[in-house]
Amino acid sequence: MENNVPDFILFLGRFHPLVVHLPIGFLIFAFLLELYGRWKRDNSVSMAIEFALLGGAISAVVASALGYMLSLSGDYDESMLDTHFWFGIATTIVTFFAWSIRSGRLNITKLKGMKPNMASLTLVVVLVGITGHYGGNLTHGSDYLVKYAPFGREEKVVLPPIDKLEDAAVYDYLVNPILDAKCASCHNSSKKKGGLSFQDSIDIKKGGKNGEAFIAGNVAKSEMIRRTMLDPHHEDYMPPEGKTPLTDEEKSILTFWIEKANADFRVKMGELETPEEITSIASNMLGLEDVTGKSGIPLPKAVQVNEEILKDIVGAGFKVRELIFESGLYEVVLPPHFISSKNSDELDGKLEKLLPMKDNIIWLSLKDNGVQDRHLKTIGQFVNLQKVELEKNPITDLGIAEITGIQSITGLNLYETKITASSFDNFIKMKGLERVYAWGTAITEDEVASFAKKENRPAIIMGM
Amino acid sequence: MEEDKTNSENPLKVNRRHFFSQLSVGIGSLALGSLLIPDLFKGGPAPLASQPLGIPHFAPKAKRVIYLFQSGAPSQLESFDYKPTLAKRMGEDLPESIRNGQRLTGMTAGQDKFPLMPSAAKFAQHGKSGAWVSEFFPHIAKISDEICIVRSMHTEAINHDPAITFFQTGSQQSGRPSMGSWMSYGLGSENQNLPSFVVLTSRGKGNSQGLYSKLWSSGFLDSKHQGVLLRSGKDPVLYLNDPDGISRSDKRHLLDHVSSLNKIHHVETGDDEIESRIAQYEMAYRMQMSVPDVMDIKKEPESIIKLYGEDSQVPGTYAANCLQARRLAENGVRFIQLYHQGWDQHGNLPNEMAGQAKDVDQASAALILDLKQRGMLEDTLVIWGGEFGRTNYCQGNFDPKNYGRDHHPRAFSIWMAGGGIKPGITYGETDEFGYNIVKNPVHINDFHATIMNNLGLDHEQLIYKYQGRRFRLTDVAGNVVNDILT
Repeated sequence: MENNVPDFILFLGRFHPLVVHLPIGFLIFAFLLELYGRWKRDNSVSMAIEFALLGGAISAVVASALGYMLSLSGDYDESMLDTHFWFGIATTIVTFFAWSIRSGRLNITKLKGMKPNMASLTLVVVLVGITGHYGGNLTHGSDYLVKYAPFGREEKVVLPPIDKLEDAAVYDYLVNPILDAKCASCHNSSKKKGGLSFQDSIDIKKGGKNGEAFIAGNVAKSEMIRRTMLDPHHEDYMPPEGKTPLTDEEKSILTFWIEKANADFRVKMGELETPEEITSIASNMLGLEDVTGKSGIPLPKAVQVNEEILKDIVGAGFKVRELIFESGLYEVVLPPHFISSKNSDELDGKLEKLLPMKDNIIWLSLKDNGVQDRHLKTIGQFVNLQKVELEKNPITDLGIAEITGIQSITGLNLYETKITASSFDNFIKMKGLERVYAWGTAITEDEVASFAKKENRPAIIMGM
Repeated sequence: MEEDKTNSENPLKVNRRHFFSQLSVGIGSLALGSLLIPDLFKGGPAPLASQPLGIPHFAPKAKRVIYLFQSGAPSQLESFDYKPTLAKRMGEDLPESIRNGQRLTGMTAGQDKFPLMPSAAKFAQHGKSGAWVSEFFPHIAKISDEICIVRSMHTEAINHDPAITFFQTGSQQSGRPSMGSWMSYGLGSENQNLPSFVVLTSRGKGNSQGLYSKLWSSGFLDSKHQGVLLRSGKDPVLYLNDPDGISRSDKRHLLDHVSSLNKIHHVETGDDEIESRIAQYEMAYRMQMSVPDVMDIKKEPESIIKLYGEDSQVPGTYAANCLQARRLAENGVRFIQLYHQGWDQHGNLPNEMAGQAKDVDQASAALILDLKQRGMLEDTLVIWGGEFGRTNYCQGNFDPKNYGRDHHPRAFSIWMAGGGIKPGITYGETDEFGYNIVKNPVHINDFHATIMNNLGLDHEQLIYKYQGRRFRLTDVAGNVVNDILT
């Protein structure tokens, strides 16, 4: 629709949502009085009904007129608008009809005995309901009413969960959720502000009445991103005042999609060269690995640990600290000297208690607690460990062999243990291992030097 | 549970917002209003209480901090910021274009000349990183590949007290919680038998400035986060040992009774500090057992004594404190704050500073090496530095062998090591006069933000609400210095 409607008409049109509630109130009030009147006959009630109907009828005419002016803006889906329009007209006409009957101006003999007042008013209320419903759909979108309804909720297309960022389609997993959250309340299939809808890829490609929503590869000329970047007071700024603006991260994602992904609707993250910033934002949005955010340490995903289990472990003497809020990843420390020669048999039981949260422990410290090779067998099941402190314990090379399966260990503290250079091969097997502390063991400086010549990892750190 | 109930119903614990929110539930019409507009009586966004304390915001690299504070402000020009230009232009007046209106202390404001003074200490480059370190610090020079020297620290304060208060609390005015208290508040304790924030002090022969307990005060935070000053010598904590004739079980009975009286008082008044007091009695009781063991350095082998230097066997020296710091760190203390006094060289700088450096050089380096061989350097953040820098011009008589330097807030050097800090780098740069920063300035707020970051704390999220406003260690400023992080 060409927009050559005078601004003043559009201005008046915007009063439609305000004025339209007046006839609704009048008419429902008339209906209630009618019900009341059936229970208690009173002449003044009768007069009041007549007045309410007249008020409803006149205000319905005004509301209809304003509604027509609003419809000229072309911001609305035409077929739905048509329905609302005709129901609105029907309501107005039937209201006049009901008023005529009520006031006695119209007297149709055929209707005698059919309770014409009640019937016409019931029809009015039904029509008001239907018209109002379509009006609401136009303003808020057709899923507004039932979005949170306990019944018949339309299941949204659920994207299959992904484990790796590379598998995420840029549009489906990153762009669309942003458009859905921040833009679609005004730009959807039924409410197309500016003629633009973000309902699906076809609509987006169609653009709005001001032209294309995006130009692939050209952020400056892509309206859908350009307008979000303007000064918030600018006339063209989107989303308009009162709606939640896009965050910097969201803008970065949209920019990335238009610029680097060429606004392709299929392309996956893995097929693109992705700057670190985008990787981090995207991981955050999708709740993937990089919950570390600013620290950049890759972390495993873990299910939350049951409170009871934690209580049991703390009761056994362990210090337990969640390392990142709500990550389910823990540091577990058994205070030094907790186990001595007196209670050396208790350690087995204590370590068993850790098994229910074995995937949740990433830092483990058991220093100076009489840990022996057989205990390392239990620890070998803790597959997500990153930092392990086993110093000052009587463990040997045989014990180290039990934990070589844990590829995530980066730091292993073994100073003042009984390990020897035979453990070097096991260190190499641990693919993530970067540092081993081996001061005060049988390992000599020479052995470390020749190891360092052959292998570039891990660094074996000795004393001074 | 019983206690919690009384707690929440205590009329003294109800604040204005709480009162209004209760009111809104009680009155029907208002309740309807709050149904329609759920936030009507909530009073702004929910506080950050949704995240329990003691859990970092993101993956931490460090677990603890050892802060080797050099009180009095060591000169950067005789330590880590090498400025050959000062030798070339020795005695020339500092150009006004460089000083650029910098306010002066009362000590040099009366000087009519500001003659440039070169360093009496020779500089050389050390390690693979080629860091410039002066001859005053031969041991630190040797570990230059383990540390990150920041030559671009700056502050606003020009006198000791506000400057050191700024470093410790994030504000020049006293009254805010100390860094260590914030860390204790944010991270909790790892060893229930020791306080999470411990302070050790020592004093060199140089001109020194006072230290006050307000520097390790918990401010408006719960007083259990306050730093505990351990004394040197036989009794690290005064009156910790039971007097003659009092057995440990007598003490236990005494504490139990005091505690039950205190609990009654708490129910009556609702004052949370009473609970802290009970907790502190208990902590002291446990410390009777734990402290003598932790502080007993006699168990240290000869090689370690040698590493830290002979001084480490003399209680109360900086070297002994460094060794203690390592032992406290091993025992789960989160924040260990050392102060070494005597760095305020307004005169006789070459002599005094050499002495001060000798006090701290070997032990500071030893601490780094010792932590490293124990695998603790990777999760212990060590910081070495004073409260501001010193002027590039001479204070008092112009004598290259015996000169002084005044306070200088615009640029000074510190170093950090371990705990997620990039080793073997020098960060930031000053101009050829060593007066202004020309590259990568680091403000105290940035310094605090960075330390918190390495402990896994978001400095913008660790907040305490007090007297109607929200406080942070960095208050309303601070950026993490990402360039110096591993």
